Amino acid sequence: MKILLIEDEPELRKSIKQYLHQEGYVVESASDFVKASEKAGVYDYDCVLVDITLPKGSGLDIVKQLKESGSKAGIIIISAKNSSGDKIKGLDLGADDYLAKPFDLAELNSRIKALIRRRNFDGNKSIVVNEIIILPDQRQVTVNNELVALTAKEYDLLLFFISNKNRVVSKNTIAEHLWGDDSDQMDSHDFIYVHLRNLRKKLMDKGCTDYVQTIYGIGYNFKVS
Amino acid sequence: MKLISKTLIYYLLISLPLLVIAGLLSYFLIKAELRDGTDETLMSEKVNAQKLIHSLKDSKTIYLSSDSLSNIKLISGKLNSGFIDTLIYDQEENENVGARMLRSYYDFNNNTYQITVVKTTMEEEELLEGILAAFALIIGFLIVSFVIVNWLLSKTLWNPFYKTLSELNKYEIKNHEQHKFTPEKTLEFNQLNAALNKMMEKIYSDYVQQKEFTENASHEMQTPLAVVKANLSLLMQSPHLKEDEMNRLQIIENTIKKLASLNKALILLSKIENNQFEENGSISIKQFTSKITDNYIDLFQSKNITLELNLSEDVMVKMNPTLAEILLTNLIQNAIRHNSENGKIIIELKENQLTISNSGEPLTVPKEHLFMRFKKNDASKESLGLGLAIVNSICKLNNFKIDYSYKNALHTFSINF
Repeated sequence: MKILLIEDEPELRKSIKQYLHQEGYVVESASDFVKASEKAGVYDYDCVLVDITLPKGSGLDIVKQLKESGSKAGIIIISAKNSSGDKIKGLDLGADDYLAKPFDLAELNSRIKALIRRRNFDGNKSIVVNEIIILPDQRQVTVNNELVALTAKEYDLLLFFISNKNRVVSKNTIAEHLWGDDSDQMDSHDFIYVHLRNLRKKLMDKGCTDYVQTIYGIGYNFKVS
Repeated sequence: MKLISKTLIYYLLISLPLLVIAGLLSYFLIKAELRDGTDETLMSEKVNAQKLIHSLKDSKTIYLSSDSLSNIKLISGKLNSGFIDTLIYDQEENENVGARMLRSYYDFNNNTYQITVVKTTMEEEELLEGILAAFALIIGFLIVSFVIVNWLLSKTLWNPFYKTLSELNKYEIKNHEQHKFTPEKTLEFNQLNAALNKMMEKIYSDYVQQKEFTENASHEMQTPLAVVKANLSLLMQSPHLKEDEMNRLQIIENTIKKLASLNKALILLSKIENNQFEENGSISIKQFTSKITDNYIDLFQSKNITLELNLSEDVMVKMNPTLAEILLTNLIQNAIRHNSENGKIIIELKENQLTISNSGEPLTVPKEHLFMRFKKNDASKESLGLGLAIVNSICKLNNFKIDYSYKNALHTFSINF
């Protein structure tokens, strides 16, 4: 999997690169419009992450360029301008997703995975983690070939964990993923705990290993060896 | 009151007393002139009577007029002589009428004659009536002509002013380009329009600058926050963290989250206040409310809050859908956060009004502070203190009326759309 990261802030570029690298992606990066446009024109990528505000140009023009050249890459806009106007414009131009800064790396990671899954029609449509098999199209989960009935939130939680497996994800990140930006002011930590307890119970009832480790003070880690 | 009506009233207020004074003055002047005329006539009649006495062959009383009031009498004693105002009986009119009388004495051939000449002064009274009528007519003409002149003036002279006024009323900063105050031939209105054009340009450029500032501020703050957040995520992956260090990381993460929310909320507030959300189409309050309560259903359950939803009559409102969602979400979150143990939330929608009530302790801050920024009722709660300020500015933007009341241990917010 090859990803092009277009972001002008060097520290952010470095962190995203490192995180995605750990996920096993090949990440190339560009720091301004000209370099980005060059790379996008020459190489093929599976996914392009593009910031709208760039030196020497607009990220939206990169989206346009990719679409005009018939690129099959999935495009995620990462922008500090959390304006619905830019969002609509970007999606209209053919971007697949829009993520407002400041975002969580875990959230970005799960969006990339979801995008690649959607793009990868010919490939394997299921996600397999040992005894757990997820069919994202049907939002279906089986453990040891037995169907597990999960609520919408439990399903989202499991998918988020699996997208970020072997990583520590904070409760805040999970809350934001499950309830969106509106969760900002919610004291939702206990609330995650309730969903997590139910999810664990349902999985373990079907004989699933308990992969979720509680990381004291911070959050959880879905540990798969 | 229209300026032009006001000038009319002032004109009349000044001209009416002037007209009355002028009327009185001319009455007295003309009256004095007439009296002088009468007196002169009487004097010449007296001289004529004296001449008559000279031609008399014998002494006797002679009547000079048909009504026998003017006469020459032979008398023995003299009374006062001179002009006298008196009343005489007019048989034709059957009433007393004013008269001017000249009585004089004339000695001739050792006889004393009393000459009395009388002239009625009816003309003077008629004159007064005439003057009154004339002035009433003049005032009437004046009022009518004032009204006509005013109407013409407002039609023609004031027309550019009304044009400018209606253009001003229509002005919306979002459609700045469509508004222009055109030059006029009248100097003052031309200057007014030029000044307005200049002012509008200034306001617009300030508005654009502020808008850009908001966006730039957002960008400048969000990117560093994103850097901190990303590095924090990476730091969390470290396998060698001690419990104490994890706690610190958690504190940093919570604070960053709060800072990001604060930044977002402030940007949202300035966006609302800068009128940067356009209303596009109408939305169903019922639909939005159900959607949001559905999203929080888990939260109600986990907090043991009973939700009573009475959405009998739907209300369609013309507003921006993003703002509608923020408005309702903030109010519902507010009702959840400030609820009591095993409390309840009642949401009612009817007759163009949405009320959201929740159980809870009475406010500790004045009601007036509720919608102000950073005025929190309970500092210990996880609140930014901006939620209700945002609600308030959304209501203001859309001309909704929002009210708060506390009754029977229930906090109630009501919005009239």
